Amino acid sequence: MSMKLPKQTPATALSRFALALSLAIGCTTAAEAAEKVLRIGMTAGDIPRTLGQPDQGYEGNRFTGITLYDSLTQWDLSSGDKASVLIPGLAESWSVDPADQTKWIFKLRPDVTFHDGSPFNADAVVWNVDKVLNKDAPQYDPSQIGVTASRMPTLRSARKVDELTVELTTSEPDSFLPYNLTNLFMASPSHWQAKADALPASVADPAARSQQAWAAFAADSSGTGPFKQARFVPRERLEIVANTDYWDAKRRPQIDRVVLLPLPEASARTAALMSGQVDWIEAPAPDSIDAIKARGYKLYSNLQPHLWPWQFSLLPESPFHDKQVRQAANLCVNREELKALLSGQMEPATGVVEPGDPWRGNPSFQVRYDVAAGQKLMQAAGYSASKPAKVKVQTSASGSGQMQPLPMNEYIQQNLRDCYFDVEFDVLEWNTLYSSWRLGAKDPAAHGADATNVSAAVMDPFFAMVRFVSSKALPPVSNNWGYYIDDKTDALVEKARTTFDEQARNEALGELHANIVDEAPFLFVAHDVGPRALSAKIGNVVQPRSWFIDIATMTLD
Amino acid sequence: MIGYLLRRLGYALPIMLGVSFLCFMLVYLAPGDPLVSILPADASAELQKQMMQLYGFDRPLIEQFVRWLWRALQGDLGHSIATSRPVVDEVFKAVGNTLMIAVLATLIGFTLGALFGFVAGYFRNSWGDRLASFVSVIGVSLPNYWLGMVLVIVFSAQLMWLPATGAGPGGSGSWTWDWEHVQYLILPALTMSFIPMGIVARTVRALVADILSQEFVVGLRARGLGEWGVFKHVVKNCAPTALAVMGLQLGYLLGGSILIETVFSWPGTGFLLNQAIFQRDLPLLQGTILVLALFFVALNLLVDVLQTIFDPRIERG
Amino acid sequence: MTAATFTDTRGRTPVVRSRGHGANVLRRLLRNPVAMIAATIILLLVLMAIFAPWLMPADPYATSMLKRLKPIGTEGLPLGSDELGRDLLSRLMLGGRLSLFMGIAPVVMAFIIGGGIGILAGYAGGWLNTAIMRCIDVLYAFPSVLLAIALSGALGAGITNALVSLTVVFIPQIARIAESVTTQVRRSDYVDAARASGASSLLIIRKHVLGNVIGPIFVYATSLISVSMILASGLSFLGLGVKPPQPEWGLMLNTLRTAIYTQPWVAALPGLMIFITSVSFNMLADGLRSAMEVKQ
Repeated sequence: MSMKLPKQTPATALSRFALALSLAIGCTTAAEAAEKVLRIGMTAGDIPRTLGQPDQGYEGNRFTGITLYDSLTQWDLSSGDKASVLIPGLAESWSVDPADQTKWIFKLRPDVTFHDGSPFNADAVVWNVDKVLNKDAPQYDPSQIGVTASRMPTLRSARKVDELTVELTTSEPDSFLPYNLTNLFMASPSHWQAKADALPASVADPAARSQQAWAAFAADSSGTGPFKQARFVPRERLEIVANTDYWDAKRRPQIDRVVLLPLPEASARTAALMSGQVDWIEAPAPDSIDAIKARGYKLYSNLQPHLWPWQFSLLPESPFHDKQVRQAANLCVNREELKALLSGQMEPATGVVEPGDPWRGNPSFQVRYDVAAGQKLMQAAGYSASKPAKVKVQTSASGSGQMQPLPMNEYIQQNLRDCYFDVEFDVLEWNTLYSSWRLGAKDPAAHGADATNVSAAVMDPFFAMVRFVSSKALPPVSNNWGYYIDDKTDALVEKARTTFDEQARNEALGELHANIVDEAPFLFVAHDVGPRALSAKIGNVVQPRSWFIDIATMTLD
Repeated sequence: MIGYLLRRLGYALPIMLGVSFLCFMLVYLAPGDPLVSILPADASAELQKQMMQLYGFDRPLIEQFVRWLWRALQGDLGHSIATSRPVVDEVFKAVGNTLMIAVLATLIGFTLGALFGFVAGYFRNSWGDRLASFVSVIGVSLPNYWLGMVLVIVFSAQLMWLPATGAGPGGSGSWTWDWEHVQYLILPALTMSFIPMGIVARTVRALVADILSQEFVVGLRARGLGEWGVFKHVVKNCAPTALAVMGLQLGYLLGGSILIETVFSWPGTGFLLNQAIFQRDLPLLQGTILVLALFFVALNLLVDVLQTIFDPRIERG
Repeated sequence: MTAATFTDTRGRTPVVRSRGHGANVLRRLLRNPVAMIAATIILLLVLMAIFAPWLMPADPYATSMLKRLKPIGTEGLPLGSDELGRDLLSRLMLGGRLSLFMGIAPVVMAFIIGGGIGILAGYAGGWLNTAIMRCIDVLYAFPSVLLAIALSGALGAGITNALVSLTVVFIPQIARIAESVTTQVRRSDYVDAARASGASSLLIIRKHVLGNVIGPIFVYATSLISVSMILASGLSFLGLGVKPPQPEWGLMLNTLRTAIYTQPWVAALPGLMIFITSVSFNMLADGLRSAMEVKQ
């Protein structure tokens, strides 16, 4: 049987090239010694994809998305004291056509070039939209659809108007489109084409050509971002270097080189930091935080657009069908004490977003810890100490974003006992819980549960609110697991969806949010704070209220 | 003997076919979606069907197996679903990396194990025996990856003498045999050596004790052959079996490195397997398991053949 | 091939025994101090595991974030607490059940299934032997860790799946030894004589084969118990096998691993239990092997 052996078989090849290589390495290490190198240990199990649409969740976007690429719109990561809002990226301005609200005009930023030198223009935008939406485009790549098309559900096509103007068309009026576009990163069409042209003619099938061209592009990528891809060792490390010609002069990196290492194993990640092998690790293990701080490392954390809730079932047989019961539960959880129990690694949730956020609105129901008020509501609903409300809640033992599900749930269970709740848990494996979330409370997978404990990313209007409360988001279309159906809410969603003025839209979203808090389809419990441990040598670190963080503005001693 | 060797080779082929089939089927035992690594849970049913067709998962299993096997024989193990890179390249690069620590681990394990085993067997049932046996048994009585983690915490995090993870300051692509790089090998190889050390020690102990108690050794001594002569005699008789065990251990290490490589983020076959399993990257999983299993079969074959050549006294079934 | 491998790993060939051998073995075993200590320890561990629910001082599932990672000797927490504040002593006691189970059950099942297959193949000989052993060889072609993880990864997390994977991993090893020993016995004078005198196969198996064969297989199986426990721990490290919050020593060792920085002794306690259990089983297996050796 024929097997291709690698060029460097350990025994012979290494000894043969040892001398030459050590000379070369000697030279490069000397050069690197003058460089400012930041080494980061990620929780991802592999290097997130570098071809423009990262995988590995938002950690991918954080390290191989916003670093190497830009999108038409982006999140403002400059401040930790206020909510992270949408600001212009590669598009300087955008507006919807008042006559036909499915058409948007985006005015692009001039004088922006890709890392390979080719210009960024309207053709590039159309090309990037086509890579996931146009089956006939040579660059069409189905493997990138999952992290793009599903996050911009209404985008249909793009059309060049002139060099710096693009028209985007949606399937229906959708004012949330600019938020969705933060997920679509702009890759260089010319550079991709060069890769495609270099393929042998024997590869005839267009799908195969596209796949191989993208694979070549991933190994040597070209975007417009503040960093450029320098060295890529698959599964081991990615090195990116500063892009000194970056279009935003304020965000030209002060750090010369950033090395990204996948360190999924928690204790290995901690050891890598403590031994000085890396300067920054994501999500340090809670048990080792004290030891890390004792060594002089700094722990950063901030409110994240993340919600850790119980999502109630509003089906008739569920006790949570009654709004009084839902509100009572929200009044019976001591969130401050829960925060202390988690060593401060959470922020209490009194809504999907907290006061200070532009979408907060003015809810009349105040989520707080008030057992007496909760008991009164429960009594009004017909429950008492001798006649408790029996509820079953689905949760998992672990999972991305689930924080510490078992102790947190047990604590809540104890709290709710004071308000005549008798809580029983159905603990599932995380992936099972997550997939059954889509199927809804009526599905057998729900095991008759009255609530499900699945945490969610809540960065944009659709993700934060619409997918939980719209009647168009019922299972299996989206995450309205509990069958929350309310005409008033639907009307507010429509209004927000079709309000194209930013200020007015924020107000409309505020009304929607206030309505959500009042109706309490969730037990609002906590927001994650995204902890990370950094060496004291790293300066100018701003951790915004976002899933992302800007490395381009950091300094290194 | 030639007849035996030919028969042995002949047996190996259907085994390799069986192994290939098992590898292929293993991953299909799994419930769930082969495309889960690139299709998020909220993808539409139509998109799912489209992707399944694109990757060929909608054809009957036997057809998929035959195609896969046919391509494998030509050296094409497909492309990883998560990264679109050719599986063959990834697997062979990983095999090279694992071989580095596996070979070093086998050497360390063999040397120390033979040492302990000799001491134990020579001074059988004395305190020397008990002590040597105890030390060699530590490695096989505790999960070795956990011992590895403890070593990392002591030598990397606390003492900062050795690095904690990775295959070199620049990754495995820029390897040289200087201290800068070799220091990355030490902890993983040491951790991996515990099990071979324990097994070699037990084997050598039993062999040495057995040989020493045989009648003709007593006779040798009676005829005035000094201790050194007896020692040489013992070594000569132990060597074939001990070496055979060492060879087999190398095979086990190659295939069983997944836990240690996860702890040390060592970019070998185990690390690759780990990622492939959890990303449900079927082509990568099938390709990696196949290559590892076939290496193991080939190694077993080699050890058996070498044994037959060098020690024809061993009974053949 | 099979016989060669068997002699390679053990360095000696098995000998056909006569009846009354069992009593001799037991007597020799009782006179071996190391083996007796090991057997006592095992007995104590088994008793502790069985009676754990009554012996435990606290609830092994009760979490308390305020009492996380308390050191050994804390008031009310004699062996400290784990990363979720649960009493470690109670968890270690109850954990013994699942750990011993994960060690012993797969080996017992493999012993029965693998032993049966091996004896059948060894006694039958000929084409049946070849067919069976080639199938076994396909499984044997996979290194154990690889097979266990691949099977577990395919079947999914959970104790039942882990049991199945581990059993499948051990079956070929035991079957090979069983086949090898049975083949040797089949060719012995005793069996030839019995055959010549017209005894039925079943009778021969029961009288001559089983007595000689069970011994070596049993010894090998005993040494597999610690391997099984440690493999199960490896599975839970990868998120397969036993899942939280069940107490099991291997799983506890894994979940406490990041606590080694702050409470190293507490974090090492589950490892100590695994160590004591493994060493005891291995010493017992060694003692059994010595007791069964007869110098001829």
